[in-house]
Amino acid sequence: MAVQLEPYAPVPSLARDDFPAKLRAQWAVFTRAWTIFRRYPTWVAAVLIWPVIFPAVYILGARALAGPDGRGLAAFVQATGIQDYIGYIVVGTTVWMWQNIVLWEVGTSLREEQLRGTLESNWLTPTWRFSFLLGSSASQLIEMILFLGISYIEFSLLFGVQFQGNPLLALLVILLCIPSIYGMGFTFASLVITAKEASAFVFLVRGVVMIFCGITFPVLLLPEWMQLVAGWLPQTYMIEAMRMVTLGGADLRAVAPDLAALAGFGVFWLAVGFLVFGWMDRRARQAGTIGQY
Amino acid sequence: METTPTFLSYLYALLAIARGDWRRYWRYPLNAVAQVFQPVIWLTPVFFMGQAFSANGAAEGFAAYTGTTDYMSFILIGTALNNFITAVFWGMGYALKNDMDTGVLESNWLAPIPRPLLLVGKTLSSLLLTAITSASMLVVAGLLFGFRTSGSALAAAAAAIPMLIGLYGFGFAFAALVLVLREANSLVDVSSFLVMLFSGANFPVTVLPRWLLPIALIMPLTYGFDVVRGFLLKTRTLLPIPQEIGLLVFFMFLMVALGLWVFRILERRVRVKGTLGQH
Amino acid sequence: MTAWAIEAVDLVKRFPRKAQAETGETRDGEAAASQRRPWWPFGKKAEPAWFTAVNGVSLGIARGEVFGLLGPNGAGKSTTIRMLCTLLEPTAGTALVNGYDVRKQPNQVRQSLGTVLGGERSIYWKLTARENLEYFAALYHIPPDLAKRRIAGLLERMELTARANDLVEKYSSGMKQRVAIAKALLARPPIVLLDEPTLGLDPQAARRVRELIGELKAEGHTILLTTHYMEEADQLSDRIGIIDQGQIIALDTPAALKELIGQKDVVRLEIANWHPDMDTGLRRLPGVSNLVMRRLESDSLWEVNLQADSSRAILSGIIEGVNQNGTRLVNLNIVKPSLEDVFIHLTGKALRD
Repeated sequence: MAVQLEPYAPVPSLARDDFPAKLRAQWAVFTRAWTIFRRYPTWVAAVLIWPVIFPAVYILGARALAGPDGRGLAAFVQATGIQDYIGYIVVGTTVWMWQNIVLWEVGTSLREEQLRGTLESNWLTPTWRFSFLLGSSASQLIEMILFLGISYIEFSLLFGVQFQGNPLLALLVILLCIPSIYGMGFTFASLVITAKEASAFVFLVRGVVMIFCGITFPVLLLPEWMQLVAGWLPQTYMIEAMRMVTLGGADLRAVAPDLAALAGFGVFWLAVGFLVFGWMDRRARQAGTIGQY
Repeated sequence: METTPTFLSYLYALLAIARGDWRRYWRYPLNAVAQVFQPVIWLTPVFFMGQAFSANGAAEGFAAYTGTTDYMSFILIGTALNNFITAVFWGMGYALKNDMDTGVLESNWLAPIPRPLLLVGKTLSSLLLTAITSASMLVVAGLLFGFRTSGSALAAAAAAIPMLIGLYGFGFAFAALVLVLREANSLVDVSSFLVMLFSGANFPVTVLPRWLLPIALIMPLTYGFDVVRGFLLKTRTLLPIPQEIGLLVFFMFLMVALGLWVFRILERRVRVKGTLGQH
Repeated sequence: MTAWAIEAVDLVKRFPRKAQAETGETRDGEAAASQRRPWWPFGKKAEPAWFTAVNGVSLGIARGEVFGLLGPNGAGKSTTIRMLCTLLEPTAGTALVNGYDVRKQPNQVRQSLGTVLGGERSIYWKLTARENLEYFAALYHIPPDLAKRRIAGLLERMELTARANDLVEKYSSGMKQRVAIAKALLARPPIVLLDEPTLGLDPQAARRVRELIGELKAEGHTILLTTHYMEEADQLSDRIGIIDQGQIIALDTPAALKELIGQKDVVRLEIANWHPDMDTGLRRLPGVSNLVMRRLESDSLWEVNLQADSSRAILSGIIEGVNQNGTRLVNLNIVKPSLEDVFIHLTGKALRD
């Protein structure tokens, strides 16, 4: 078959490159993730049960420590400035659960797709690749909002925790937690694809947070060096700020330093997440990782 | 070659299983490290929480409930015992599920060993491994948090034995359930957490709300923990120690009989339905 | 500006040797290059050995052509196709797809391509066919009303409309593959890449896919097809590139390739109870070359392919020679050379494993 040698003009497809198209692509990633999430029904039980039974162990332990007549409570109030030890523990353990779940779900989201085979399909499209992480994380965030909401209801009803304080301020604290937690999640997602292994990373981080961030105790009780480490973990500020606002009735001025720290961490971790993703993408292009499993 | 099975040959078979499991475990030594340090990590927030409730290093509130101010030793004993419970309780069910998943269940099932004995064999090496990792954990935790016992360790261990044997009974029943349901994980996660919660591994059961306490009191595990702590820490026990030991011995016979019975029934059902090879 | 719709010039891809297991491509005869760095006095620090999956592949595919890339497993087909669709960065060489450079203009390349890689695993099983197509239409930046029309049309064409709102996990393999193909065609790409499109499909489904490829060619699409099924390559392709061990060893129309064997006859034997002496015995017959054996799946039958200058001359020799020492000739065919025979002629081994 003879082949004509003429100048080649690229033949266009139906793809467009304008900004609305990119927004639509981002929205499509989000709706796809959310639709698929809804179709696995087991999450309902998980969201209802775990908020309660995980803190329960610590709460009952604290109850034992307080003593039948509350004689241990005096020491607690002196150490923390807060009377409601159940609320104190609940805030800490819930933050721990929140970041634990995010790290796991966002962290394995890309690897999951790789194992199923759809990661490659996504990578073949002209869509901006970071939007895949953004979209599935947005879906995960909705799940977490439900989780937090249900936790709040369950603690108020079952444990009689009284959350005082300004709800708008509490909302602000939660909003400022999001960039750090999800930035870490993005970082994990990229590392997990590269290492093909998730558990080690997640266990490490959740162990570190458990030890240093004061989930059931005031950070001030830690030895000096541990307090230093705690100061470098955004979860420490999340827990402290939430406690101050919801249990201590603090106002904006009182939590401002913590919020500033959270904002700083947020920017840092989002940047790290974005940069590590780019690194992973370039590396994957060299090694052809995307299509493997 | 026809050979009639003797007690000795059964024993050799069990040892062979145990040796295989042992070797497989040590191929991933990081697992052992994780099993020693994971509990230590989980105990750290408990330790500092206790500090928050303590004045001058003594948890007076805790002492009012239990008879000792040493909450960490209390919890460490609970954690170590819980490891054994996990190994026996769920170990057989998991081993079964594993065999199902790797496809060897049918061939194992055809071996001329009484099936309950086969299941027991699967727990032998994990019992030894648990003893090693728990002891190591106690050493590490003891260094970090302090672990002091005042009573006789031997007496405590002897008292724990009927509890463990009784647990085998439950283990058989659970293993039978796994055979029928062909599923282990979802059932186990929440159940094991709840069992740990109600048996007093991490706190005296007397702090449970009034309406939940009966659940704890009908579980033999609760008395197991209580007796061991009674011996090692001289804590106030729910019932006098001789009575609790009596209860444990009674439960031991009951659970083993019950467990074997459930196992025989469900196992026969599986044979009739022919679902052994599926997963 | 080139004349080719796809042009590859000396594409090379090397992986560090420990990555070899990951790519699934294996090759014998690759020397491990562990050397001691001369300026490092303390102990041996091994350089990572390199495994070359693609070793200088050049090809040109004209607009509107169906090009078949044919080769055994591990030949480098998947690696080549991944370099062309921008999933894999070439170690050396260049490639232009639809006039765009795969390294420098990857986004434009992706906009120009419709790809079926990974078959039924490439779509979301927890979504319906329609949802899958809507999703990917958005990812390909197709305006919504246009997308809607395209999707309706493609569902119709792939005969999926009736079940379009069922979850893909409930579909047969053939249906899943059709969804994957529909996804590839959403943006009406000028170039379509199909990686082993009939792998794992039942014969009827496979036939439908092949018919579709013919239709796509008639509509003016340029198609690059990889396969290890030589009948498929033969039937569908305008030109075929035979690839083995990372290199193109022949590139021409199917007819021209078969002429490489020249005037040789191909004799295909099925033999029961193979005896080792058989091998040497057959080879000694006059004019016999390229004897290749394969054990058939069923029973203890062996299939022997050999090429001879004149089958007539050796026929009696074969029959005599085979029916000895307990072996038995079950079947004997004299056939026209196929592409597999071309492959055997060029490489001395069979196309299928």
